[in-house]
Amino acid sequence: MKKMNQWLTVLIFVFLYIPMAVLIVASFNTGKDITQFEGFTFSQYAELFRDEDLLNLLGNSVLIALLSTAISVAFGTLAAVGIHSMKAKMRNVVMNLTNIPMTNPDIVTGVSLSLLFVFVGSGLLGQRESLNFGTLLIAHVTFGLPYVILNVMPKLQQMNPALTDAAMDLGCTPVQAFFKVIIHEIMPGIVAGGIMAFTMSLDDFVISYFVTGSDFVTLPVEIYTYTKKPIHPKVYAMFTLLFALIFILVLAMNLMQIRGEKKRKSDKVDSKGVMIARRVVAAILAVAIAVGCGFLIFGNRREKITLNVKNWGMNMADGTDDTLDLIAAFEEKYPDIDVKMSYYESNEALFSQLSNGGITVDVIIPSDYMIDRMIKENMLLELNYDNIPNFSKVDEQFRNPAFDPENKYTVPYTWGTVGILYNSKYVSEEDVTGWELLWNEKYAGKILMIDNSRDAFGIAQYLLGYDVNTTDKAELQACADKLSQQRPLVQQYVMDQIYSIMENEEAYIAPYYAGDCMIMMENNPDLKFYLPQEQGFNLFTDAMCIPTCCKEKDAAEKFINFLCEPEIAGANMDYICYATPIGEAKEHMEEYLAESEIIYPEEEVLESGTAYAYLSEEISRYVENLYQEATKISASGSQEEESEGSGAVVVALAVMAVAAVLLMMPKKKKPIK
Amino acid sequence: MSKELIRLRDLTMEFDGERILDRINLYINDHEFLTLLGPSGCGKTTTLRIIGGFLNPTEGTVIFDGKCINELPPYERQINTVFQRYALFPHLNVFDNIAFGLKVAKLPKEEIAQRVNHMLEVVSLKGYGHRNIGSLSGGQQQRVAIARALVNQPKVLLLDEPLGALDLRLRKDMQIELKRIQQAMGITFIYVTHDQEEALSMSDTVVVMDKGRIQQIGKPEDIYNEPKNAFVADFIGESNILDGVMLEDYKVRFFGRTFQCVDKGFAPNESVDVVIRPEDIDIVEPENGHLVGTVTSVTFKGLNYDIIVEFKGFKWLIQTTDYQPEGATIGIRLNPEDIHIMHKSEYSGMFGDYSSYSAEYDELTADAADEEE
Repeated sequence: MKKMNQWLTVLIFVFLYIPMAVLIVASFNTGKDITQFEGFTFSQYAELFRDEDLLNLLGNSVLIALLSTAISVAFGTLAAVGIHSMKAKMRNVVMNLTNIPMTNPDIVTGVSLSLLFVFVGSGLLGQRESLNFGTLLIAHVTFGLPYVILNVMPKLQQMNPALTDAAMDLGCTPVQAFFKVIIHEIMPGIVAGGIMAFTMSLDDFVISYFVTGSDFVTLPVEIYTYTKKPIHPKVYAMFTLLFALIFILVLAMNLMQIRGEKKRKSDKVDSKGVMIARRVVAAILAVAIAVGCGFLIFGNRREKITLNVKNWGMNMADGTDDTLDLIAAFEEKYPDIDVKMSYYESNEALFSQLSNGGITVDVIIPSDYMIDRMIKENMLLELNYDNIPNFSKVDEQFRNPAFDPENKYTVPYTWGTVGILYNSKYVSEEDVTGWELLWNEKYAGKILMIDNSRDAFGIAQYLLGYDVNTTDKAELQACADKLSQQRPLVQQYVMDQIYSIMENEEAYIAPYYAGDCMIMMENNPDLKFYLPQEQGFNLFTDAMCIPTCCKEKDAAEKFINFLCEPEIAGANMDYICYATPIGEAKEHMEEYLAESEIIYPEEEVLESGTAYAYLSEEISRYVENLYQEATKISASGSQEEESEGSGAVVVALAVMAVAAVLLMMPKKKKPIK
Repeated sequence: MSKELIRLRDLTMEFDGERILDRINLYINDHEFLTLLGPSGCGKTTTLRIIGGFLNPTEGTVIFDGKCINELPPYERQINTVFQRYALFPHLNVFDNIAFGLKVAKLPKEEIAQRVNHMLEVVSLKGYGHRNIGSLSGGQQQRVAIARALVNQPKVLLLDEPLGALDLRLRKDMQIELKRIQQAMGITFIYVTHDQEEALSMSDTVVVMDKGRIQQIGKPEDIYNEPKNAFVADFIGESNILDGVMLEDYKVRFFGRTFQCVDKGFAPNESVDVVIRPEDIDIVEPENGHLVGTVTSVTFKGLNYDIIVEFKGFKWLIQTTDYQPEGATIGIRLNPEDIHIMHKSEYSGMFGDYSSYSAEYDELTADAADEEE
């Protein structure tokens, strides 16, 4: 029995720590991703420390965590003392009330905070930018506070209540008694609560996501928007360091507690080292608070103009992998403008952020159909093309697009196609005849499908010969039937994960964006790209626009103009691998890209491409529902791998449950003599 | 005894409608060692906490040196307390614990050091200043607690069952130590205990309390020899309490016999409680006895034997140095000064019957009282 307990304990630890182990190994990997471990390197760490943006984000996260922790600890401790002095009945009620925000789903807290801040900021105070550093801080304090209270309360309850009396008896006022005696007794609770609040704040995504303004973004929020391409390994390095930091913090806290217990029972006086360590911690906290206050006071009084750009993740050259650091170049040219980038992960997310209000955004780069919608909903400002002379460099064919027929609102940024990526080692050329390849039963289980309703329906529509912008419900239903027919053949519905799956040949066929396919083909030469010319395909455009919440329109137009400079556009395309509408830019980019038929198909090929238009909200929702229905895992489906996977999960959970029960069982007592 | 220092006037305390203290009236002289004695729940600790300023009485006043101090918070009273479980500050060492009050009062460093060191000597803990509280024994912690209170030179020291957590031997030593310190420092002590022996051996004045009321105030000897009612008689020492009738002055009748006694001032034929202390009873040959009974149990107590003797269905406790075997028939004699007469009270009939006596009984109740606190 005892042996078994030990084994189970080990098992549980393995279960808990394996994910971290994988991350740490990945951070030292020279290979492209975790599936191929090639060698040991510190280069990810070196790269991390060269990446100022990433370090700034980390700094932001740490700053907000320290500040919110300091505030939570101060108020939480006071609150706990107050609650403790209440009568038992009242105390229980209040404790339950403080626990609710902790158990409340983050998403609910996030949305309600966001609503509140926008209501108070925009509605009552008339601020243009109601979501800012301050609101983020308040939000983090709201969820940090209960943890401090929850940890301090038991310490207060354990404390000998006569200690307070004794202090007052010896001449302390209640306040003096708190600082001279009580605080020492409840310190372990304060520290534990503080550390919990700190870690909760450091990794909070959900709540932060809703209350983050454009002036201050934390790391998790930013990382979430890196979804267009796989996460760079230097991020693994950063996470490893973060994990190490938290690990050391918790370890140090426990050691200090053990030492403290020992010390109480022994005769030793505080060693100098401990005293110094305490001072250092206090000093760090003080500095963090000072810096935070400084930021609050002076941060918003910059002389420079701040230009807030919202973009897709990894959709602008940032200096990594020997590319141009485009923002740096722009800021060098216009020293009085400070560009702040933030990100969105889908057109729909951008739309909802803008329509929720409370933020300032000067430039956005959404896709065609979304621009259509935004124009219709009056969310975009008309551009002053006199400020964008480089618009003349935009190729004729990209002017006056369907989504902006008079070309009043947009300047195209990139364009591209959606085609089929396949592995020529496994897929015979004679099967590559059109979109039906994705329905070919020969490749059942080796097919990936793009995981968004618009593109998936688009593919079905091309295959069935319907208009891609149809609103005919019968046609849409036919498309849905087609997709559910495909369901048993599909290995997975994916977006970013496509990179590793296709490169590692775990699947052979997948529809995706041409630019991304280009990158995968570089990594695996067997991959090929195919555009079903006869049936038609999606030709998409992302264009730069200025939303109505813009504050710096002149600077925004300067920025748009800058991105249209052929040299800049060329260098930018080297990084993002999409096609540019600036013809001259081809002279300034790497040749293999400029001449790639995948990125720049022949003109006659392009003629069979069509663009998505905005469908009404009703139709969009109808399509989304059909899509979810069609791609849902059916209970009797042939998804063996998935059922195997869930079986493993069930077994693992069962093992853990049994282990937990065994560990909780009291040990047999020795007979008392 | 010198002038009056503290007076409690009609002190009443209620918690949630329950009356804990019922019109307590008491004065305490300067330099006096006064003990509040009673079973747990009698209100003695509540009284002490009101004097210390930790509780506000529902009604009544606390007068200190001629002034009402009801509204004065504890930190402004010239009173210090030794708490039940000492309440030493675990994060400070011995020296800093004792220096705490002086530091709060912002005294110069040299004076603090000098006074703390002096106090350490007074409580025989010289050289312990750097020790951590957790490393001290119970008795040492006790003395630190006393030093911590006394170093502030209070006019009054309140002690709330300060010896309750110590073992018997240490308790005896500390009783002597406390008395010595009190005399040396010339400070008024108000001492709370449920241990009657402690109260009798240390105090100048004992206040016996029960159910939130004072039952008797007096010198230890008076309390013992002249208990006012059955509760006091039983709580202070052991007593056989019998129903009797006071025929006239100096004549009391019980057990069908008339005895000579030394009490007077009762109404003719008043029914009374008769107290006979077990150690006052002389055992004689059956034929010479006022009463004749049978020994039903014998317990060896070290100094003496506790024997239970049955007289006409009533069981008495007798303490004697002469061994009497179980089942023996013995006679007893009662001298007039051995008989103490009390008026009937609400406690009549509740105490003083040893029918269910067991030698462990007292210890059990004492332990139970300890645990409650």
